[in-house]
Amino acid sequence: MDTISTPVKKLDHDLKMSGAARYTDDLQIPDMQHGKVLYSSVAKAIIKEIQLPQLPEGYVIIDKNDVPGENFVHIVADDCPVFADGVVTYIGEPILMLVGPDLKKVRELLSQIVVVYEEQTPEIDFRKGETFFYHYEYEKGDWQKAFAEADQVLDETIETGYQEHIYMEVQSMIGMKDPNGKITVAGSLQCPYYVHRALQKALGLGPDKVCVIQAEMGGAFGGKEAYPSILGCQVAVAANKIGKPVKCVLDRRDDITVTSKRHPASMRYQAAIKDRKITAIQADIRYNSGAYITLSPVVLQRGLIGAMGVYTFDALRVEGKAVKTNTVPNGAFRGFGGPQTFFAIEMFMNHIAKAVGEDPLPFKLRYLAKKGDETSTRGRYHFHIPMPEMIEKVDKASGYSQKYQEYKNQSGRYRKGIGLGLAYHGCGFTGSGERDMIKGVVRLHKLANNKVEVLTAGTDMGQGLKTTFVKIVAKTLGIPIEDVIIKNPNTDFVPDSGPTAASRSLMVVGKLLNRAAEKLKEQWEDGEEQEVEEHYVHPEFMIPWDLSVFQGDPYPDYSWSANVVEVEVDTLTGVTRVIGAWGMYDVGTAIDYRIVQGQMQGGFLQGIGYGSIELMDVNSKGQIRNNSLSDYIIPTAMDVPHLQTDIVDHPYEGGPFGGKGAGELPAVGGAQAYISAMESALGTNLYKTPFSQEDTLEFLTKGAK
Amino acid sequence: MVTLRNGYIPETLAEALKIRSENQVVPYAGGTDLMIKAQPSSYLFLNKLSALQKVEQDGDMLHIGPGCNYTMLLNHPAVPKVLKEAMIRIASPATRNRGTIGGNICNASPKADSVLILYASDAELKLSSIAGERIVPIEEFFTGRGKTILREDELLTDIRLPLKGLDDYYYYKVGARRAMAISRVAFVGLLNTENGKISRVAAAFGAISDTVLRFREFEAMLLGKTLAEATALKPAFLAKYQEAIVPIRGRVSAEYRKQVCMNLLADFLNSNGI
Ligand SMILES: Cc1cc2nc3c(=O)[nH]c(=O)nc-3n(C[C@H](O)[C@H](O)[C@H](O)COP(=O)(O)OP(=O)(O)OC[C@H]3O[C@@H](n4cnc5c(N)ncnc54)[C@H](O)[C@@H]3O)c2cc1C
Repeated sequence: MDTISTPVKKLDHDLKMSGAARYTDDLQIPDMQHGKVLYSSVAKAIIKEIQLPQLPEGYVIIDKNDVPGENFVHIVADDCPVFADGVVTYIGEPILMLVGPDLKKVRELLSQIVVVYEEQTPEIDFRKGETFFYHYEYEKGDWQKAFAEADQVLDETIETGYQEHIYMEVQSMIGMKDPNGKITVAGSLQCPYYVHRALQKALGLGPDKVCVIQAEMGGAFGGKEAYPSILGCQVAVAANKIGKPVKCVLDRRDDITVTSKRHPASMRYQAAIKDRKITAIQADIRYNSGAYITLSPVVLQRGLIGAMGVYTFDALRVEGKAVKTNTVPNGAFRGFGGPQTFFAIEMFMNHIAKAVGEDPLPFKLRYLAKKGDETSTRGRYHFHIPMPEMIEKVDKASGYSQKYQEYKNQSGRYRKGIGLGLAYHGCGFTGSGERDMIKGVVRLHKLANNKVEVLTAGTDMGQGLKTTFVKIVAKTLGIPIEDVIIKNPNTDFVPDSGPTAASRSLMVVGKLLNRAAEKLKEQWEDGEEQEVEEHYVHPEFMIPWDLSVFQGDPYPDYSWSANVVEVEVDTLTGVTRVIGAWGMYDVGTAIDYRIVQGQMQGGFLQGIGYGSIELMDVNSKGQIRNNSLSDYIIPTAMDVPHLQTDIVDHPYEGGPFGGKGAGELPAVGGAQAYISAMESALGTNLYKTPFSQEDTLEFLTKGAK
Repeated sequence: MVTLRNGYIPETLAEALKIRSENQVVPYAGGTDLMIKAQPSSYLFLNKLSALQKVEQDGDMLHIGPGCNYTMLLNHPAVPKVLKEAMIRIASPATRNRGTIGGNICNASPKADSVLILYASDAELKLSSIAGERIVPIEEFFTGRGKTILREDELLTDIRLPLKGLDDYYYYKVGARRAMAISRVAFVGLLNTENGKISRVAAAFGAISDTVLRFREFEAMLLGKTLAEATALKPAFLAKYQEAIVPIRGRVSAEYRKQVCMNLLADFLNSNGI
């Protein structure tokens, strides 16, 4: 029998597979001009002078003086300028935009601009930085006593590197101005209303004078949550000045250099151990924010909330800092602060287990969080946590437990290793954001022909949101999928259902649609045009979140994952092959089984890349050196020939048809499984991502550092 | 012949050589290297020249047309396994359908995967112009990174690969991942014996220096020796390489690349009972 999980053909399938989809770069508008941004080439300086070449007719410079409103891009705070105002604070900071009819000419002229800088000493190393954008602390239980009474204290620093999104489509945006002065921005973006609010501020216009449209989008992974607000303001300011449409499509090298990435993290973990049991944990965590705040506070919050991973400890202390540096501002990336701390705690648990003479898995099992437990932030796990069942399944599929024993004490050229990594992802916006900030609204518009249009600000970036939204509405109304219409959001027509981020869309916005459809079904009048609207309702069971003390339920529910990776290391070269990867996930009920599988496989591979080959090479001047696809390496399908994922089905009662967050979860657990496998192969403890071929050979040649 | 805004499409080799001698043109085979650094140029498109797309065996000599793409060569029964093993690790199927072995050679990158094999197997190249032709050992063709002795009026027209003794080979490519990866280090070793004595040793290293590296003077140490004699010479042999291999700086550390070279060289000897 068909259920909501039964796969359907994705609504964007034909469009994209046939090549007919038109992305921002494909869009041609009469009289359209091309813009290219001049970025700072130094990490910290005062701009003394900008020497421009002779500009032919029709070529125009757009800079801070052209910003009609405030020269700030509204993201979380208003600290990041649309165009630099006399100073630059990272390599890649936008200084001005050159606009003209011929793209080649624009590039040529741009390369002739000379910026005279008075350079200052930049702060590059976030481990040493002393300027903090944000600083949070929380604790639970008597951790001081536990440390005082410990018979052993383990103290380690674990680090994670950058990760670049490498969405297939680079950041792209078009700004347009209509005769009445209204500004429209269309492009590749995750959150139409984020851009909408940023435009109002930079342009000094009311909400009815700006419009944002999502074009077809070739991937985002979080990278198009905040940056489109910056690029959107830039093309809007340009279009506003010259009165013609202005398109700006970043080159890949610029995209890698100037847009946000996953925050590198340095995490000191300490464990108090008594009678071979953990009695308390302390974590001191630093995330490299880069030069501006952008999304750092929320990224850091999520990281800190997850600092204890999937475990329950009675006593703990967590402290976290978002460190300001003269590097590119970091931001959202699938997992949103989670992959860093979940990596750290999983490695730390491996190491503690070994220190007390146990294998990692049986040790971890004893600390697993379960329904009813108090969370680290004194909230509660309100629902069943299927972790034991998932671990059992993934163990069986991969042969983890047996192989882990087999792979101890190997010799010879090729050595195998197997590792297990556990993770959760909190579903929805952190804390009380859904209730206090987002306040999502959705509408269903029924036409006289009985077709129903879905109106939300949710964007499909390839993850399948259009398809799952339509399935929810069609199933609730009991009408065929073909009778439900969904278009790319345009802020002139869709209500603000919130950003497409935080694994919230299906669970939160999908639930609103589910309720709206129920309402419409009750009122249904054949042949009549009708409209229903639904507003966010906060789950009553949640323990209120208080950010000032970092306490309460940060999320209504969590999605869970158990991941196993098996590797084979060539000890002569350090080249490591992933010979198998197995993932088991709890995402509530899959609204579309195939879409969920696609998300799990892609995310898992992204996590493995994060642990292994995705190395961002930043020099001491703050320059990213490998800003191309031949130098920044992400895995291909060839790199994980055997990737097996599946789900357990435990409906979440607060989500539509039992569904909850899925999109980010798989990217949170891959790196720890990979590095754990490397630990098993090399017979040592490891402390960082990525762990490269070079690192492997260096370890084999010289031993652990 | 077709004349285009950006070049010429000759239909015979003679036509191509004539155009080459009379015009400033850039030979264009699959374009997979040229496209990346696309410049406004006049191109000599070689894709219609069937004379450059043949594989012919003449006794122990294999003639490979430089215009053969990787897919053609991978499917050809006469192409030796060691060359196929290197070619299957180049790029991805799409690029292998376009990229040619001639382009790989003439692009003169020390990371060119097929060139490494040609070095070890003592291949020769035929360079032709309207004035005549010359045959040069592959090592003499390259004068540096991106630099060759090819004259402005010449084309590479044949790759002569001696087939003898290629069956016992040792090959390894270190790429950043398993597909679509340029070599960080590549190594090939050939060792043949006749009547219990070593009749050939060849060890070539890619992606280390400005050209592929091969040290014939070191190889000579082992020639004519028994395996037991070679084993005794092994430390001295390895010491020579230890001194001679100085990787130029790259994205991946010189230290790592050197260590890999030495590990693979030692393992190559090891696998041959030395
Ligand atoms: C995505 C990607 C991945 C790649 N991966 C690899 C890899 O893993 N390993 C590797 O070795 N290479 C790799 N390459 C490089 C490239 O594909 C190869 O070097 C290929 O063999 C080039 O052949 P081509 O026919 O495309 O050369 P072209 O681009 O047509 O020409 C290359 C050069 O050779 C000259 N030339 C070509 N034919 C002749 C001739 N007959 N006479 C004189 N001059 C000539 C041209 O003028 C030009 O200078 C990769 C390239 C890409 C784009």
